[in-house]
Amino acid sequence: MRQLTEEETKVCFQKLAHYTGSSLSQLVAPTEDPNERFVFRIHGSRVYYVSERNMRLATSIPRDNLLSLGTCIGKFTKTGKFRIQLTALDVIAPHARYKVWIKQNGLMPYLYGGNVVKGHVGRWSEDCPEHAGVIVMDMNDIPLGFGVTARSSAESRKLDPTAICVFRQTDLGEYLREEDTLFTT
Amino acid sequence: MAPTKPSVKGKSSSKGDSKGKPLSSGTKVSKKNVKRPPPTEVKSKARTEKSQLRKTKKREYTEEELGLPKLNQITPVGVVKPKGKKKGKTFVDDAEGMRTILAIVNAEKEGQIESKMIKARQLEEIREAKRKEAEARMAEKKSKLEDVKQSIRQKRKHKGDAGESKAAASSSGSSKPKGKKKSVSFA
Repeated sequence: MRQLTEEETKVCFQKLAHYTGSSLSQLVAPTEDPNERFVFRIHGSRVYYVSERNMRLATSIPRDNLLSLGTCIGKFTKTGKFRIQLTALDVIAPHARYKVWIKQNGLMPYLYGGNVVKGHVGRWSEDCPEHAGVIVMDMNDIPLGFGVTARSSAESRKLDPTAICVFRQTDLGEYLREEDTLFTT
Repeated sequence: MAPTKPSVKGKSSSKGDSKGKPLSSGTKVSKKNVKRPPPTEVKSKARTEKSQLRKTKKREYTEEELGLPKLNQITPVGVVKPKGKKKGKTFVDDAEGMRTILAIVNAEKEGQIESKMIKARQLEEIREAKRKEAEARMAEKKSKLEDVKQSIRQKRKHKGDAGESKAAASSSGSSKPKGKKKSVSFA
């Protein structure tokens, strides 16, 4: 477990900023309690968002025995790119830049790994460009996953109900489908 | 120290004057005594002189100066590491550093999104303009068609009136329209 280098931090934040607005700075901002600060740590190839207190406690565990700590944000590939993971959803959802709310009838198709079609969209953030990162939510504002818009919000109004609006990247169903590989190092 | 220097100077001056003399003189002792001081003086002068420094400079060639082809060097082009840079990773842990990186990343992202939106708007405008143009063309075509239809209808009406009058007036007038029809069909 170690701190991120400058380059790694930049790559990681670039990916997070794809889905979030300027409020992302809240992640590294000091909290109300001055002792409770959150930090990013890399362990193996995985990046964790963890409270400083927990991080200090984790230093007492041998590196080989430490499986996970805090919230896993994603992992670095061998080529130096950053893959964001479903577990980061809770971290980025409150700071989302664009959101798509899906109706009850689109819930199951999405959670089973399908893309979001126009007919299932209940609401949509205005002025959303093409290929922008969006957080997918149900009508009760519960985050279900995230994806990338297929069309801009202006264009998608003209689409027919079966046309794809959002390409799925992750959904909550992955907790079951990817159970074996989600937390392996 | 002060008294010794003038003596040396005096000697050197005497030698300078009598440079040819030591060569001619045969005594060894006198030669040694005379020769020793001047080389020291010359050396001290030479070290401080620019000519010495120039020599050392000339010996040091940078790779660029040598003008070797880049692919012919020991270290490949991409592998050359910058000199004087700290080895290893530079970690970012302080909140200030993180915030600056975040600010840079955010600004980049904002710029990208802004440019995307501008592009999308421009494209939308172009599409709208094209659509309007196409609609205008269609409307024009339709109006033309309507005009033609109208004119044909009017002609028919006129012809109908004329035919009736002609039929009533003369029976030979029926041969002329047939001829006209033939010419149209062949053309």
